[in-house]
Amino acid sequence: MEVGEESSPTLAFEKDALDLTVEDVYDISYVIGRDLLKISSTGEEVSDLKFRIVRILEMFETLVNKYNLSLEELKMERDNLKSELDRLIKDGSAGQRIVGPNQLLVDLTDPNRPRFTMQELKEVLQERNRLKAQLMVAQEELQLYKSGILPQAEPAMVEVDLEIPATTEHSSATINDAKEERMTIGKL
Amino acid sequence: MAKKTYDLLFKLLLIGDSGVGKTCVLFRFSDDAFNTTFISTIGIDFKIKTVELQGKKIKLQIWDTAGQERFHTITTSYYRGAMGIMLVYDITNAKSFENISKWLRNIDEHANEDVERMLLGNKCDMEDKRVVPKAKGEQIAREHGIRFFETSAKANINIEKAFLTLAEDILRKTPVKEPNSENVDISSGGGVTGWKSKCCS
Repeated sequence: MEVGEESSPTLAFEKDALDLTVEDVYDISYVIGRDLLKISSTGEEVSDLKFRIVRILEMFETLVNKYNLSLEELKMERDNLKSELDRLIKDGSAGQRIVGPNQLLVDLTDPNRPRFTMQELKEVLQERNRLKAQLMVAQEELQLYKSGILPQAEPAMVEVDLEIPATTEHSSATINDAKEERMTIGKL
Repeated sequence: MAKKTYDLLFKLLLIGDSGVGKTCVLFRFSDDAFNTTFISTIGIDFKIKTVELQGKKIKLQIWDTAGQERFHTITTSYYRGAMGIMLVYDITNAKSFENISKWLRNIDEHANEDVERMLLGNKCDMEDKRVVPKAKGEQIAREHGIRFFETSAKANINIEKAFLTLAEDILRKTPVKEPNSENVDISSGGGVTGWKSKCCS
């Protein structure tokens, strides 16, 4: 223990209780021990008091030690969590973004991710259904030719009515006629 | 002039919750087949079946919609052209029955006013899993003044009957045309059905 200038060990008494280190406790012990020597009166009472004070100082040492260790552990824990959070935010900002309600995160590396708009799907479905209708007409025609109902030379036309709905959901009824698309398929 | 293979064209629409069996009902009717694997319909599909009613060849163009909410905007745009709508629920699925009112509202909102409606309680072969009593289906149909059948696409119960009844109901509303006239353009909007031009003009 340092027994340097007289003023330095007494500084421990000025400190905030929660800032005390074990070293400070030793300084306090030193100062109290020195002051006890000054009393220097003999007698059982003083001797007993000295032992009790030493005991209290030992308890004090344990408490301060324990407190500082716990504090240190919590600080380390906090720093770990902090760096973990920083890492996650950094990772996250690379690919994703924090989104609000009613928003969807899209994993750009997922080959099955949604990529097309509802309008595009609508158009593809309309195209599919149009072609399906044409195929049906062609099959029907073919069947008729095969069964010999239709003479081959007749340049007949067959119409298929396939409604194409308007793009807007709430269209007025008068648009209905315009919505209908009639396909004319010439016989092969 | 063109020689028609049919006298009339009726457009029907199948709606109802996802998984109630709309596609299976249609598949049973059009191809007399049944498939147990569930493949969710993407948006909208259709099948064609020609039937004969009262001496008339009637071509049924039946639109099969996806029940999933995410296709709502696509499917509702097909309500307008439908002359008959089949609303299907699943007798083993209470939620699909509860949603009937939601589907009826969709019809009110998007379909023609005089569209012929019909309610089907499908999967009636699965009696052991039934959660919707037949009487409840009959009751809600009565309340809305529409026809009701319990059907099974799997066991082929009431499927053809339902489609033919719906077609008959539409035929009853259709003004009588000269059946043999080859000059009638079946496919034109005004020619096919009087009631349609009435509602669209």
